[in-house]
Amino acid sequence: MRLLVVEDNEQLAELLTKGLQAAGYETDVLSSLEEASTVLRTTFYAALILDLGLPDGDGLALLRDLRHRNNPIPVLVLTARGGLQDRVQGLRSGADDYLVKPFALEELIARLEAQLRRPGNLLGSSLRIANLEFDTRNRQASIDDQPQVLSARETAVLELLMRSKGRVVSKKQVEDHIFGHSGEVASNAIEVYVHRLRKQLSERGAKVQVHTIRGVGYLIAEEK
Amino acid sequence: MIRFKSIISRIVILHVVAVVITSIFMSLALSWLLNYATNNIHDKAMQQQAVSVGEHLSAKADGSLELNLPQDLLGLYSQAYGRYSYAVIDNRGGVLFSSLKDQAALFPADTVSSDVEFLQQRRGDATVSGASIRKTVGGKTVWIQAGEDLANRDVLIDDIVADFYRNVGWITLPILLVLLIADIAIFRRALRPLRQASEIASEIGPTRTDLRLPTEEIPREVRPLVSAVNQALDRLEEGFRIQRDFTADAAHELRTPLSILRTRLDLLADEQISRALRQDVEGMAHIISQLLDIAELDAFVVDPAEKADLRSVAAEVAEFVAPLALAQGKDIALLGAIKPVWVKGNPEMLSRAIRNLAENAINHTAPGTTVEFVVEDDGTVCVLDHGPGIAEDERNLIFQRFWRRDRRKPGSTGLGLSIVQRIAELHSATITLENRRPSGARFALKFMPFRT
Repeated sequence: MRLLVVEDNEQLAELLTKGLQAAGYETDVLSSLEEASTVLRTTFYAALILDLGLPDGDGLALLRDLRHRNNPIPVLVLTARGGLQDRVQGLRSGADDYLVKPFALEELIARLEAQLRRPGNLLGSSLRIANLEFDTRNRQASIDDQPQVLSARETAVLELLMRSKGRVVSKKQVEDHIFGHSGEVASNAIEVYVHRLRKQLSERGAKVQVHTIRGVGYLIAEEK
Repeated sequence: MIRFKSIISRIVILHVVAVVITSIFMSLALSWLLNYATNNIHDKAMQQQAVSVGEHLSAKADGSLELNLPQDLLGLYSQAYGRYSYAVIDNRGGVLFSSLKDQAALFPADTVSSDVEFLQQRRGDATVSGASIRKTVGGKTVWIQAGEDLANRDVLIDDIVADFYRNVGWITLPILLVLLIADIAIFRRALRPLRQASEIASEIGPTRTDLRLPTEEIPREVRPLVSAVNQALDRLEEGFRIQRDFTADAAHELRTPLSILRTRLDLLADEQISRALRQDVEGMAHIISQLLDIAELDAFVVDPAEKADLRSVAAEVAEFVAPLALAQGKDIALLGAIKPVWVKGNPEMLSRAIRNLAENAINHTAPGTTVEFVVEDDGTVCVLDHGPGIAEDERNLIFQRFWRRDRRKPGSTGLGLSIVQRIAELHSATITLENRRPSGARFALKFMPFRT
């Protein structure tokens, strides 16, 4: 899978290429808006990693131009600007995600994959934490590569948690995901499903933990 | 010399002095003028009477003079009326004619003086005042005297003079007082733009450097001062801006090299060294983003119409910090309000304040304990931890920039709580700090409720 990195700092560009290569991505590096604009018209990339402060202008201009031409390429913006207005402006200009420097390579790759995994995008469908794996295509969970049978509700909860790995899923999100916007939800229904899922996972030897953040939501993480 | 604190009091005092002096002087001047005018009229009338008596003086064939006064004049000079009198004197001082009973002259005979003379003479109880004129009739020079007994003087004129103070003089005082009040009002009006300017000036500070004093309505005499103050403010603002921009630029410029360092570490083969170094980089990155937050806050102005749902902001922060807390074996809980709690303020700034309180609490709470967020319906958000609490003598220190209890402890910049305080200030929010039993701290931020 080929990615385009637009970054004018040579050292950073080189290191990014190395890191992304290690994660299995081929990378092209360009250092100016003009080059990037030309290349993007003719070449297909899975995603664009865009630095904002470039020698020939603001990366947001390229981004707006892309969106204006209805180019749906996932764009991850890298920037040294972390101010309130900068972030709002970046997302309004059509960025899919926004990473403020300095960032962890791991986080960059995780965010990139989150983008690539979105419907219509290219990445494979398997999500993994420790020995627990979830295939989003056939909605199959497996522990130590052994397929597991879970109820539909438990599967739905697990899928949502796995997709939001490393982040908290609010109780409201879980409710919406399982019941949609209609339907009466018993006040403790979600807790019951999470409780059952937690029990199933631990009984079957998954080395993961489903944390309850009281008043906020749930988070799945590797067991310590 | 008395020192006056205000222009108004100076004007009032000086004006009162001026009013007193003027009213005394004006009364004296007016009464003198009135007296002068009455005397003048009296003298003129007496001269006129002497002339008219003289017109009826004629020479007989034998050279002697005779006086034939008509009936109305005889009545005027009659003894019964007694008010006016006349006498005609020849050049040797002999009395030729007189209306007086004793045929005497009105005034001592003066045969040297000029054409007209005004004289006054006491006669018994009365004072006679009048005029003496020279006239030549039939080759003889005579002096005709006409006089008025002052005791019988015209009542009307006397009344005017006598009642002057009572009827007219007092008017000067109220007129001058009205003038004084008008002057004070005019001055207060003239000074009003200055008072408005000083109200604006009182709001100028390091966080509000964009304000300038209005010059349009300022009196021309004071305008140079106001303009000079405005120019001084321009220079100060520029200084502040340069300093602020420098902080922001410096922090900003550090980010790219730090990214390079961070990425290099991520690619390092030795996982153990890489992890330790990564923590250092993260610490530096944290300082940088907090410095940028502070630089941004120094220039930030809260839109008074902006509102935020404190509950959802607190929930977002709890979601954001939960993975951090869990990674350290600590827990997060959000309690309190279930419905939205609307407060005045910028949601992102509120979020930063709560996040800094939360990070502080997570750093200090004991492993295995829970950091609790409590949102109350009155617009308060509390963050409670199970740490050591805040010692009495550290209560004020903790909000100072770069202050840390333990400088060796990693992960703390000493900037977090100063950011919280700054955001609270910007939103007119209050921070309260309590220690909990048996241990722990409770930070409460109370924002202004937003009412539609």
